[in-house]
Amino acid sequence: MSQRVFVTGYGIITSIGNGAKQNFQSLINRKTGYGQLEILETVHRNEIPGCEIKYTDQQLAELAGVDVAEGFTRTALLGVIAAREAITMAGLTNEVLNTAAILSATTTGGIRELEKYYYELQDQSKHGEFDSFVDTGNPGEHTERISELFGIKGYVGTVSTACSSSANTIMMGADLIKNGTVDVAICGGAEALSKFTLNGFNTLLILDREQCRPFDKTRTGLNLGEGAAYLVLESEDGVKRSGKKIIAEVLGYGNTNDAFHQTASSPDGAGALQAMQTALDAGNVSPSKISYVNAHGTATENNDLSEGLALEKLFAGTVPPFSSTKPYTGHTLAAAGGIEAVFCMMAFQNNVIFPSINFTQQMDELTISPQKDLMQNVSLRYILSNSFGFGGNASSLLFASVDQ
Amino acid sequence: MKRMNYYINGIGIISPQRTFNNDEFLSEVAQYDDNHLNCVTPEFKEYINPIQLRRLSRMLRAGLSAAVISVRDSKINAPDGIITGTGYGFLTDTGKFLTEIYDYKEKQLTPTFFMQSTYNALAGLVALTFKCKGYNNTYVNKGFAFETSLHDAMMQLEKKASQTLLVGGYDERDDAQYRIHLRSLYYKTKPINNLHLFEHKTVGTLQGEAAAFFAVSDEASDQTWCRLVDLKMTFLPESKESLFINLTRFLSANGVSVNDIDFFVNGMSGDVKNDALLESLAQDELKNIAEVRFKHLCGEYCTASSFGLWLAASILKKQQIPAIVRFNQINAQSPIKTVLIINQYMGRNYSFVLLKSAH
Repeated sequence: MSQRVFVTGYGIITSIGNGAKQNFQSLINRKTGYGQLEILETVHRNEIPGCEIKYTDQQLAELAGVDVAEGFTRTALLGVIAAREAITMAGLTNEVLNTAAILSATTTGGIRELEKYYYELQDQSKHGEFDSFVDTGNPGEHTERISELFGIKGYVGTVSTACSSSANTIMMGADLIKNGTVDVAICGGAEALSKFTLNGFNTLLILDREQCRPFDKTRTGLNLGEGAAYLVLESEDGVKRSGKKIIAEVLGYGNTNDAFHQTASSPDGAGALQAMQTALDAGNVSPSKISYVNAHGTATENNDLSEGLALEKLFAGTVPPFSSTKPYTGHTLAAAGGIEAVFCMMAFQNNVIFPSINFTQQMDELTISPQKDLMQNVSLRYILSNSFGFGGNASSLLFASVDQ
Repeated sequence: MKRMNYYINGIGIISPQRTFNNDEFLSEVAQYDDNHLNCVTPEFKEYINPIQLRRLSRMLRAGLSAAVISVRDSKINAPDGIITGTGYGFLTDTGKFLTEIYDYKEKQLTPTFFMQSTYNALAGLVALTFKCKGYNNTYVNKGFAFETSLHDAMMQLEKKASQTLLVGGYDERDDAQYRIHLRSLYYKTKPINNLHLFEHKTVGTLQGEAAAFFAVSDEASDQTWCRLVDLKMTFLPESKESLFINLTRFLSANGVSVNDIDFFVNGMSGDVKNDALLESLAQDELKNIAEVRFKHLCGEYCTASSFGLWLAASILKKQQIPAIVRFNQINAQSPIKTVLIINQYMGRNYSFVLLKSAH
């Protein structure tokens, strides 16, 4: 018998707050992390805004309870902070952690430190604070740091499928629990802003200088953000044994590729549609039962058109409330799927649907529009959370509330 | 894990040896004297159309060609899903983009370098090439990247049978990384000949690279190389004893004892420090088993275990162990039926892969 998989805890740090409480308050008060970049050293500071966490690496290290001189990259620091909150909320003991899985996602890992010290590191005659950052170019490095720090030794994995990465860690964590490899999986992602990604997205001409406007006719691109989030997934048997409170069930998931273009989604949303359909089929839930969709909604021309059309097709006339939380946190790339899954958990716990801000003008190609105002006292049964990315990667997660 | 059978029904590998032609098996051995081993590449135009070819980086060419070779070898038309693993991804394009950021002060940069530097670029490209809209994932955890990909493929087949998934491992050699990693003595400081890797007994290894793809299915075919029985990863084992306990548990969970193993593939890297546990295992607990090594042929890289898998699968299919990979005097029983691959990366990531002959 395949195990059911439940969420028992989560942790989060983004530009709208350190920890679950601050993030929730920001979401219901329409407070965004958008603004001028002040910590990342880049020539684009005055020109390209983003959603930056206003802590220096030193301050983050203090929050994380580690020494930055030991070579913790900003990505690793964000990961440690979010993982610690998740572990605490779920009440995981050292014994449980020892056999648990840590699955983390990132698109760049410690490239922020690599880009800072790229030439110094190559020069054998030079020594300095960069000495401890010798392996920061590796995306798995931050996951191994988290594993070692918390003693999570059951399974160590890192995913990198661009912007759908951390949604895929949740799928893999659920698969590992279902087939009995582990009982507990800590899944999510961590992503620090870097010159590499800022300039990369800038060359693709998809960075909006204004606040991003998902599903709006005037949208011209995304704002980049940084952050980390992890969910603790546990097996049905484990939760029964511990009597732990369940936040929600991971009911289904779909991972597809729309095999259309190296960096763009197919304009008709074929990949997005197939991912959502696969998630619904896996959970045996019909589209009409969905209470809310947390959209990928990056506010690029391409994504919102393709995702919007996929939503119209899937829900055939009766699209449930949907919103994008990207204007709050920015697009946190590999961390986005984890961060938005955490927001879905908050929605379940507080019976709310977070509003999509910055929407004013209806898109010509769509008949649907995102939820503009905060909805309270809503009964949420099933939530879909979408994450799509470069390389045609499309992932959708189906969460269900649990009667206890 | 449930006990389903998994089969490797096709392989394509481009490595520092002439491995891209599946009809050959290490008949010529390439030698290197400067501590880094580069892929011996085929004519890419036999696998990639010329318009596409021009746009792709060297490693994307090698990766896509390896994928095409594995699909052709398996005699399927297209895979049902694609999973790749890589430790460092496309280092050359990453380095080019970083260099432009420095040299051009973040202005007038080349988008292609950024686009082709993403870790999932190859999985996306292979999906695009075969119009494969199914499952698609990329794992990037250092010395577990390939193993996790293989493990995920097994889990996906458990969920949905009668499929063929393409599982790839790739890593690219890069000069900047070579210089950076010399700081931590990860590579040998004095030049050596690759074929003498295991004689030096010094710290550091050789820098390698490769791209390897395997068509993995729950159904055997006429093309089957071998059966993939199971795999397990261990992160930072406390001692050789605890690693060996993990190994015996892994084997017994699969109904196998150490004595059943016909030969084992030892993923020692030639680094006397990081090899300590595997060397000790080979001299002690596994001393009565025929031993094969491979990192003198391909160098060390995060996904080098995929070269080890190719080697083991080739030996099972061809029932022949080339002298260049043999490392003790023990002869494997004939026919060769059961093979164990033990790999280590950086002395931190350890993995076991158990294979059996197809029939």
